Amino acid sequence: MKQFTIEIAKSDINATFKEPNDDMDGPVKPRRTLPSKSPSVPNLSQVFRATGPSNNLFKLKGQNLSQGHEQSGQNGLGLSYSSTNLSLIELYNDENGEEEGNESLSASLPEEVGINAKDVVPQQEVIPRQDAGLDDLSHYDRYGFKKQSNYINENEYDGWWKDYSQYCIRRKRKWQSLLEKSGFPMTTEAPDRFPPKSEKLKRYVRKGIPAEWRGNAWWHFARGQEKLNKNKGVYDKLLASLETKEYERRENSRDSDIIERDLNRTFPDNIHFRRRPNESAEPLMIQSLRRVLNTFSIYNPKIGYCQSLNFLAGLLLLFMDEERAFWMLVIITSRYLPGVHNVMLEGVNIDQGVLMLCIREYLPHFWHRIVNKQYSHNNQFLYKLPPLTLCTASWFMSCFVGIVPIETTLRIWDCLFYEESHVLFKISLSIMKLSEEELIHEHGPASKNMSQDDADIEVFQVIQTFPKKLLDPNSIFDRVILKRRISLNNLNQEEIDRCRKYVRAQRLKYKNYADVLGSNPKSNGERNALVELDVVNDALSSEVYGFRRSLTGLHWNNSIKEKVRQIRKK
Amino acid sequence: MSASRTGKALTKYKIVFLGEQGVGKTSLITRFMYDTFDDHYQATIGIDFLSKTMYLDDKTVRLQLWDTAGQERFRSLIPSYIRDSHVAIVVYDVTNKKSFEYIDKWVDDVKNERGEENVLLCIVGNKNDLVEERQVSTEEGERKAQVLKAKIFVETSTKVGYNVKNLFRKIAKSLPEFQNDSGKLAGLDGEAGKTAPGVIDITTNTEEDTTGGCQC
Repeated sequence: MKQFTIEIAKSDINATFKEPNDDMDGPVKPRRTLPSKSPSVPNLSQVFRATGPSNNLFKLKGQNLSQGHEQSGQNGLGLSYSSTNLSLIELYNDENGEEEGNESLSASLPEEVGINAKDVVPQQEVIPRQDAGLDDLSHYDRYGFKKQSNYINENEYDGWWKDYSQYCIRRKRKWQSLLEKSGFPMTTEAPDRFPPKSEKLKRYVRKGIPAEWRGNAWWHFARGQEKLNKNKGVYDKLLASLETKEYERRENSRDSDIIERDLNRTFPDNIHFRRRPNESAEPLMIQSLRRVLNTFSIYNPKIGYCQSLNFLAGLLLLFMDEERAFWMLVIITSRYLPGVHNVMLEGVNIDQGVLMLCIREYLPHFWHRIVNKQYSHNNQFLYKLPPLTLCTASWFMSCFVGIVPIETTLRIWDCLFYEESHVLFKISLSIMKLSEEELIHEHGPASKNMSQDDADIEVFQVIQTFPKKLLDPNSIFDRVILKRRISLNNLNQEEIDRCRKYVRAQRLKYKNYADVLGSNPKSNGERNALVELDVVNDALSSEVYGFRRSLTGLHWNNSIKEKVRQIRKK
Repeated sequence: MSASRTGKALTKYKIVFLGEQGVGKTSLITRFMYDTFDDHYQATIGIDFLSKTMYLDDKTVRLQLWDTAGQERFRSLIPSYIRDSHVAIVVYDVTNKKSFEYIDKWVDDVKNERGEENVLLCIVGNKNDLVEERQVSTEEGERKAQVLKAKIFVETSTKVGYNVKNLFRKIAKSLPEFQNDSGKLAGLDGEAGKTAPGVIDITTNTEEDTTGGCQC
């Protein structure tokens, strides 16, 4: 398999787009990889209109989820490379051989000698992975992900899905009637126009967009077409630039190297991303993923490639074609998660600071578990983020892909594209709120005697594993997001934007002071520097007070401020 | 509380896994914890935490394993985890020269955070079952481990389960818990430390070594 390497110097890229003829082999002529752009990807309409042999994944009691738009022979959804006429059944049969092979391999391995080291009890209840079980399609969900995970077994999954699939059918009917009432007759299986935003539509989105519509709906709500229209042809040019000689010469490009190593580590449990044994061609999905990530890395040199983008792009590719997935990736990384994936990851730290502020505001009990009392009054947690943030950082970087089970992830994405990034904070807070019960149940209330270190470990462990069990999106949406009269629901986008600005400024100021005073703990002036930094910290912390109040009384404060401003003007 | 079976709190040791992405950090942990292997693990983003209680020579300790993301830009997030680690396991892939060259950076990070004395540094060359793709020889690995003053150097294969338990046994034996008393193995280990300062060489090609064996 030929590797893509990134060749063009970053500064040349922009020039390249403006003048396609400049420094290239020619204008965008079709290349080896280009034609595969759309047909290779099972895009939404293809995915959900699979024509291969029917599989029973979507069939429940004779119904299937495309009900209402069923056309003859179209009952296998989502699980076929329809464009290549490869059915999943075929894919699967091939894989079966490999798995058996693996099994026998592992069986033939000498058992490790027990010696003295023996495991007492793993602290977490983890279901051992049983990879041998690839014997039929029923092990996979409608998107091609394996139903079983380390935390959920297949029985649990099937039990839940039995009800949840009915829920999906009900919701889809509601959507259909909403669309028809709004003057968008259902002429296609996956509508691409939706009513204007409203409270009602928001509620519908929060209760889940029909799976078959998701690609179009996300594209619509994120205003993808607008972005694409402004950048017509750019993706093709980027693709072409991947093939230029100049590009190939820079064999050692770090980004494409790293991308290459992550491709097969993106969704190893998904049939669309798994390499088929005895088959030299790699999965089409992996090829698409490679192109999207490589083009993105030259499109946005500030980010290049950052681990976690592979999950974002990978999930998008399950629902839309390559070009759309590319632009959605651009939108996510710029509009929803600004700076989060940048080389310095400063955006991650800012968002984690914001999250900490939100916890302090909305989940005071939880807050006291994660932050040492002596620091909780000042702003230090904004610069020295609590350990928990390394767990929660990944929630933001991958927008919960791989953090919560797939249906829950998709529901979060529905809301993300409709309501923007504050959703990620809300979900994070919801997870913490719900896991607090587990914390209290398993570990008792926060103990005063416990060291902060032990408390951190406790929390970290629960917060890390709890989301992985959130199989049912409704378990979190019904209990928190859709609840009225819950203070958390005061949190809106405006507030998050302000929070982000504030945290960015605070971190910057602190960093500037620290640079001047020298915060290197190994320097001789350590003591003095630290003392002075404490003073700085206190000074900076005094700036939070007004802000904190504004968290709860934002609108009130704003209107007062506005009035005062007007009075002054007069 | 999940603290212990015996009633008294277990001694806890923090072990942080570092190294370029794709070298097999997650795989190493999974092999150790569950004795299983997948061809591909999902890439680790941020930090994963696992804990395991280990029993050795009538003593029980709790190991806290911190699995980290390998990409360079994540390095800025990780120092706080290194700061109070007892053990740092820096992993490279014997079939990937670059991943070998990068271990210096990770070791620098460890030394910056912990100083040289306060942490048990292990260098691990993984994927040694891929004989034909090898780019880093065992000798190179040993030499580097010596230069970096690593206490433990091993080559492992998480795929076939080679040397993984051995690695953790070596680590356990180097922990103060197993050195304070006059335990037989601890004594042996202490001697080993004297005779071969720096590196403990276990480059024999046997599978998991035999009971209690110190191979020096």
